Amino acid sequence: MKMRTKNSNAPKKGSSHKKWAIGFSIAAVVIWVFYTYIMYNLPDGPQTIFQNWLPPTTVNESLVWVICALGLNIVVGYAGLLDLGFVAFWAIGGYSAGWFMSAFFRQVNFHFLSPSDAAKQPGIHLTFWGVLIVGGIICAMFGIIIGAPTLRLKSDYLALVTLGFGEIIPQFFTNGENIGGFNLSNGTKGISPIDNVAVPGKILGPFDFSWKFSIFVFLTAVMVFVSLRLRKGRLGRAWLAIREDELAASMMGVPLMTTKLAAYAVGAFSGGVGGVAFATHVNGVFADRFNFSISIILLAMVVLGGMGNVWGVMVGALLLAWINSTGLPAFGDLVNNTFHTAINFPSYNFLLFGGALIFMMLFKREGLIPESRLKAILHEGDDTTSNVGGAH
Amino acid sequence: MKKSFRAVSIVAAVAMITTGLVATSAVTNAATVLTISTDLPLQGSSFDSNDSTNKAIALYLKQINYKAGKYTVKLKIYDDATAAKGGWDDAKCAANAQAHVANKSEVAVMGTYNSGCAKIIVPILNQAPGGAMTMVSDANTNPGLTKSWNPGEPDVYYPKGIRNYARVCTTDDIQGSAAAQFAKSIGIKSVYVLNDTQTYGQGVAQAFTTEANKIGLTVLSSGAYGEGWDVKQSSYEAMFTKIAALKPDMVYIGGIFDNNGGQLIKDKVKVLGNNTVVKIMGPDGFTGYPDFNSMPEADGAYLSFAGLSTELLLKNAPNGAGAKFVKAYKKEYKKDPVGSYPIYGVAAVQVILAAIAKSNGTRKGVTNAIFSGSGITIPASQSVLGKALAISTLTGDTLAKDITIEIVKGGAETTLRAWTVK
Repeated sequence: MKMRTKNSNAPKKGSSHKKWAIGFSIAAVVIWVFYTYIMYNLPDGPQTIFQNWLPPTTVNESLVWVICALGLNIVVGYAGLLDLGFVAFWAIGGYSAGWFMSAFFRQVNFHFLSPSDAAKQPGIHLTFWGVLIVGGIICAMFGIIIGAPTLRLKSDYLALVTLGFGEIIPQFFTNGENIGGFNLSNGTKGISPIDNVAVPGKILGPFDFSWKFSIFVFLTAVMVFVSLRLRKGRLGRAWLAIREDELAASMMGVPLMTTKLAAYAVGAFSGGVGGVAFATHVNGVFADRFNFSISIILLAMVVLGGMGNVWGVMVGALLLAWINSTGLPAFGDLVNNTFHTAINFPSYNFLLFGGALIFMMLFKREGLIPESRLKAILHEGDDTTSNVGGAH
Repeated sequence: MKKSFRAVSIVAAVAMITTGLVATSAVTNAATVLTISTDLPLQGSSFDSNDSTNKAIALYLKQINYKAGKYTVKLKIYDDATAAKGGWDDAKCAANAQAHVANKSEVAVMGTYNSGCAKIIVPILNQAPGGAMTMVSDANTNPGLTKSWNPGEPDVYYPKGIRNYARVCTTDDIQGSAAAQFAKSIGIKSVYVLNDTQTYGQGVAQAFTTEANKIGLTVLSSGAYGEGWDVKQSSYEAMFTKIAALKPDMVYIGGIFDNNGGQLIKDKVKVLGNNTVVKIMGPDGFTGYPDFNSMPEADGAYLSFAGLSTELLLKNAPNGAGAKFVKAYKKEYKKDPVGSYPIYGVAAVQVILAAIAKSNGTRKGVTNAIFSGSGITIPASQSVLGKALAISTLTGDTLAKDITIEIVKGGAETTLRAWTVK
């Protein structure tokens, strides 16, 4: 009986991913068409509503959050390694863009496929696509560096080390203005502006949302594809095995070291890509942005959406990113204007997040769109009335 | 099957909401109604001052009956801070810049409060399709925004090659110089310079250090802008113990109070003694904070303000437009404006309104009114600053070089004297 369910489950799972992928593509196309052709031709009223509630910048920013959350999902959701310092990779990715796509290093003059408007500037100017890869690789290397000493740690201790890492890296950038006389990060002043992104035949200015949106959607799609393929392959199955029982996994011949390091590296790569994308989004990189709360929000996105399920994480990330940047302030304006109050809604952001997480833990621990495997584990024994304590 | 049903229902729900919003009846504005906005941080400890600025501007617009020439003006308020950061947020600044441009009726922005935020917003407004949109700041004192300062500045902020940024306050190079000259005038021989490592703090500390060296004060700190204080640190006792060994007459704190300034002052007094023993002086980043003034450790601290303090303004022109406005503010809101920036906020709005009156009601027109031809001058009879306010058509800076020296006494900022930079 059990075998049959499993067998009938497998093809269904694949087709469900296909449906989600189709849904994702359709949503992406609809949003693209809407923001490219429809929104700016709407009458002023509805257009203002969209500008207030869902401006194109928020859509793009949310996609950056999705890219980072998908990376964290590999570490936390797949391999079960609690990471409280993911912001470090976002920061390193951002600074990669700052170093390789701006006039910051004035002492050198290096151009490689850079957009034509940067041709006359000093500094290092690589093409955006190159920087994505370079930033990703640098982050992957740091992922391995952080991963290596944590291999023998579990749960709380691992979380503490990652937390430390997430604090050290931004602090390093904050104070990195004078490293033996060398200015690595420009301190809290940050590095700005960053080169514009060039696509064939066009240099994207700050108002080319649709183009940026297409690029961000493409990056998200790549991350989803990589996540799904890895999940199905040998490495993904090894991650899940470690997540569920590390000791058993190692007894069955899963190499703990390489498998864990691979999770850190792939996750960090994604964080680096997100960091580069974000730097081009805000046209700069600023050290004091990378604080602990970013790591926590990313973790909340993964947990809320559904650990281990890329689609769940995507929905969770889009939702929380929207609430954080636009939803709550817009809702606050609506309430304050309607009832003539002066409540500072954005200041209740973390109360809302915290409350939402507690309720999720109480009533829907597996997340909004759960991974079927995790759901099965969490609800193991739910139907046995004799199991009073609920052994999970 | 269940999953796909869920996906379909989500898509359907989104589609329904979308159609619902689109179907909402359109509200069209007549072309003569223009929007001006304020873009200030409304979270964190600078809230009091900026909230007061928004209130002052709202009152001023009411007083002039929302008219600028033949145009009617509406005010829209933006917040460039987030609660998570407790102050201005780079992503929020970028998003606001996009929102200013996307809001079709908006012709000019009054803001920002923080120079760092301006450095994000100005380049985006500069590239606005259909012509650069102008921002006039009441409080950005970093010189690099308008004049050569760090490499590449100010041109990096104006990618289209035209100017679209003006300000009504004086800049840090002038403020820092004035502070150093004042320090010498009260008999200070040696100083130790600190900064909060941010754009603004380093800028003013650099100007102070340069001038101090020039006029023969002994600068005990090293580097162009002295030593940075780490904003996240919970104690500065070690740093001040090190400074105590050098025996400075004065410590100069270039930075803003938000950046852990309270702890800094406490530890300064704890280690170096109160502010009559070793003097302390800060820039306008420490003005306008009731929290700072009420600290017992702040008593006797000297502060400089990049303009004329409200107190000085009332004394200089007791019957002028500025004095009248402050009285009206008190009558309307039952208390005084917080610090001196609210009045500068109104002055910035006066510049914007004068430009709108001179323009054809477009963003480009407003920008041209400020940066071409005779530019904008607010006559002394109308200016809330109590004297004529002229904006340079080349840089967008105010031509005034007023600095006010204040001292914290009995829990309040009191004006000591005006200082004209030599």
